[in-house]
Amino acid sequence: MISRLQTGARETLQGHYAGQRKPLFEIAVLTALLTTLTLGIYRFWAKTRVRRYVWSSINDGRDSFEYTGTGLEKLLGFLAAMVILAIYLGVVQMGLYYFGLTLFIEPQTEKQAMMQAAAMGITALAVLPLVFFAKYRARRYKMARTRWRGIRFGAEKGAWGYAARAMFHWLLSVLSLGLLLPWQTFRLERYVTDRSWYGDAPFQQGGKWTALLPMMAQIYMGLLIMVGGGTMAALTSLPEEGAMMAGLGFFWFIAGVVLYRVKAFCYLTTHKTLDGNIHFDAEVDTASLVATVFLGALVVAVITAVVYGALGAGVFLVVMPAVTMGQGAVFIAGILVIAAYLLATAIISSLALVWIVQPIIHQVVEAISVENADELQFIEQRSHDDGADAEGFADALDLAAAV
Amino acid sequence: MGPVTGSFFDGQHAGRHRVEVTLDEAAGELIVTGPSLPEALHWPCARLRALEDLARGYSLTLTLHAETEDEAPRDPARLTINEPAMVARIRELCPDLHKRDLHRGTWRKIWTRGAMAVGAVVLMLFVILPRMADTLATIIPVEREIAFGKSVIAQMERALGAADLGDLRCRGEAGQAALDRMVARLSEGQDLQYDLEVRVFDDGMVNAFAAPGGQIVIMRGLLEDASGPDAVAAVLAHEIGHVEARDATRIALRAAGSAGLLSMVLGDFTGGTIAVVLGERIMQASYTREAEAAADVFALDMLNAAGVDSSGMAEFFDYIGELQGEFQIPEYLSTHPASEARAERARDNAEGQEGTTPVLGEAAWQALKGICG
Repeated sequence: MISRLQTGARETLQGHYAGQRKPLFEIAVLTALLTTLTLGIYRFWAKTRVRRYVWSSINDGRDSFEYTGTGLEKLLGFLAAMVILAIYLGVVQMGLYYFGLTLFIEPQTEKQAMMQAAAMGITALAVLPLVFFAKYRARRYKMARTRWRGIRFGAEKGAWGYAARAMFHWLLSVLSLGLLLPWQTFRLERYVTDRSWYGDAPFQQGGKWTALLPMMAQIYMGLLIMVGGGTMAALTSLPEEGAMMAGLGFFWFIAGVVLYRVKAFCYLTTHKTLDGNIHFDAEVDTASLVATVFLGALVVAVITAVVYGALGAGVFLVVMPAVTMGQGAVFIAGILVIAAYLLATAIISSLALVWIVQPIIHQVVEAISVENADELQFIEQRSHDDGADAEGFADALDLAAAV
Repeated sequence: MGPVTGSFFDGQHAGRHRVEVTLDEAAGELIVTGPSLPEALHWPCARLRALEDLARGYSLTLTLHAETEDEAPRDPARLTINEPAMVARIRELCPDLHKRDLHRGTWRKIWTRGAMAVGAVVLMLFVILPRMADTLATIIPVEREIAFGKSVIAQMERALGAADLGDLRCRGEAGQAALDRMVARLSEGQDLQYDLEVRVFDDGMVNAFAAPGGQIVIMRGLLEDASGPDAVAAVLAHEIGHVEARDATRIALRAAGSAGLLSMVLGDFTGGTIAVVLGERIMQASYTREAEAAADVFALDMLNAAGVDSSGMAEFFDYIGELQGEFQIPEYLSTHPASEARAERARDNAEGQEGTTPVLGEAAWQALKGICG
């Protein structure tokens, strides 16, 4: 297991991932069941247990990461966030809805009626700054609850700054039709990285945003093919060929987006430093990552179908004889069916974690290495961070990812 | 037993200490020694805690129970042992390895925060949002309300399957004239804030509704099943009550405020969507039940003023009660008060009425029933 490459005095650590499907699946299914039975309250502990497993899987061949967050602090953070959000969401959403109403004109056509319906949907924008705010705070909490070799990671406060920058850059990206997306990717990553710490050692983001520009080539290629196909379908006498070309362009575009994200991740990781002299390297094999995701999704779909099929067959086998046996048997059969249904949904909700999310983490972790790692031993502990709202805002806004 | 090797992190520096771990079973403690440690550590068994849900299940990572400021009351130092016999022995000897410790005052924190969260949500849902909705519903300009009402009716038409807007509207001239006469009789001498626009839709449902801005729709099914013109007049008066109270606008505003709130409270877990829908239904139902009761009172007053017999209203509610049959929706889920009680109130009112005349003559009533051709 131990892989330490000695290159002169410089030590390189290679990322390893020790997690397996079965134990994670057991944790996920059990906690999903408990979450349903407690009407959602257990979800804070569910998330904690899944993270403990995943974090403890990440290691350098010797020392594992540790997740120290607790379910209780997440519940408390959620309750605190709820007080603020109850007031904000209620008032702002109603206010915006009212504002939408005062803009109302009588819909003369179908199209106008649809436009107005869309205008009402804009009330959703009220939560957008909060979404970015919550995202940064959730990351800060995760950093503050991650330890390696007993030393805490950490992130500085800065959620509002992040929200403002994220809004600004998203607007620019949309207005420039995606041309300025690399600028957004780079600046936001730099904002976050430059506020991150391991113990008393700061992370720093180097590199240039323009380096990300060429990584978007396949996205534009996909768009070009789509537009070409669409034009062909509309203007020439080859509508079917045009539609097929547009479809190809769409897949090309999706692949381009994945490629961009992976390449950008590798670039940004290799240009990070810790404490000024510890460097990182990331060599993610995009093809194998895409294959992993694709196969994982396929497996999830197949197992979901099998579970639902088994559930249906089981219900039939239990209920049919019970009906002939009278009321008591029907009651028991009803309870069995509900239990089977809950188990089935718990299994299905855990599949993506085990077959898609964990394999992605596995591949990414094993693609990362830390150079000049012997400098790590000089890093000292940082003080405890109360962890902001412990993801309370992210959870209330349904943003919190499991991992 | 021991010693075995382990790795130790002191929680102050990232450097690894290679240590020897001995389990002193008599004293009930772990003794940790190493060349890089200034002195031997004595970790008592009772305070030992193990990290849980570890991916490498064969290894044991230990820490100590301690009143620190950390998220859990744990010492920041960590000791990892991989030697199977030692791991097994420690698991056997130390009873509290998996004990959950809480900081002092945790329960009080849970109670206060919980009470505050529940209080804030309840206050918003039942006090502030309804008040705000009431206020906003009164200050919205009438022409905007009318425009909004038209779009509501347009949506309704589309939901009922109309290919083009206006397709569903029944256009029998004599019928519309009878309907307008009924409206005129009811609103005579009343100081109404809205110009009423009443129309009939060609649909079998036994129902009627009031959209914002004075627009009222009656379904063909209601005309067909009503016992007579007085029953239709009662329904109409009820809907006029909704219009005057601006109920549709008010309820739309309330829903806009409370929908986001509810989905936030209930979160997304398996079955969470059902809970949100059910919760919204209950909220909505309690709002509208009040509005319905108020509209009933308004309708009875209006019938009395116009000299229309409210027995028609009683008959109508009796009929609705029969339609619902034995499968009554529980009242907390239903948007309307129970039909028997409403029929009863209308009957009581009818006993006190004098000198009532039918709201429409027989010919006009037949014309109204045939409005959809």
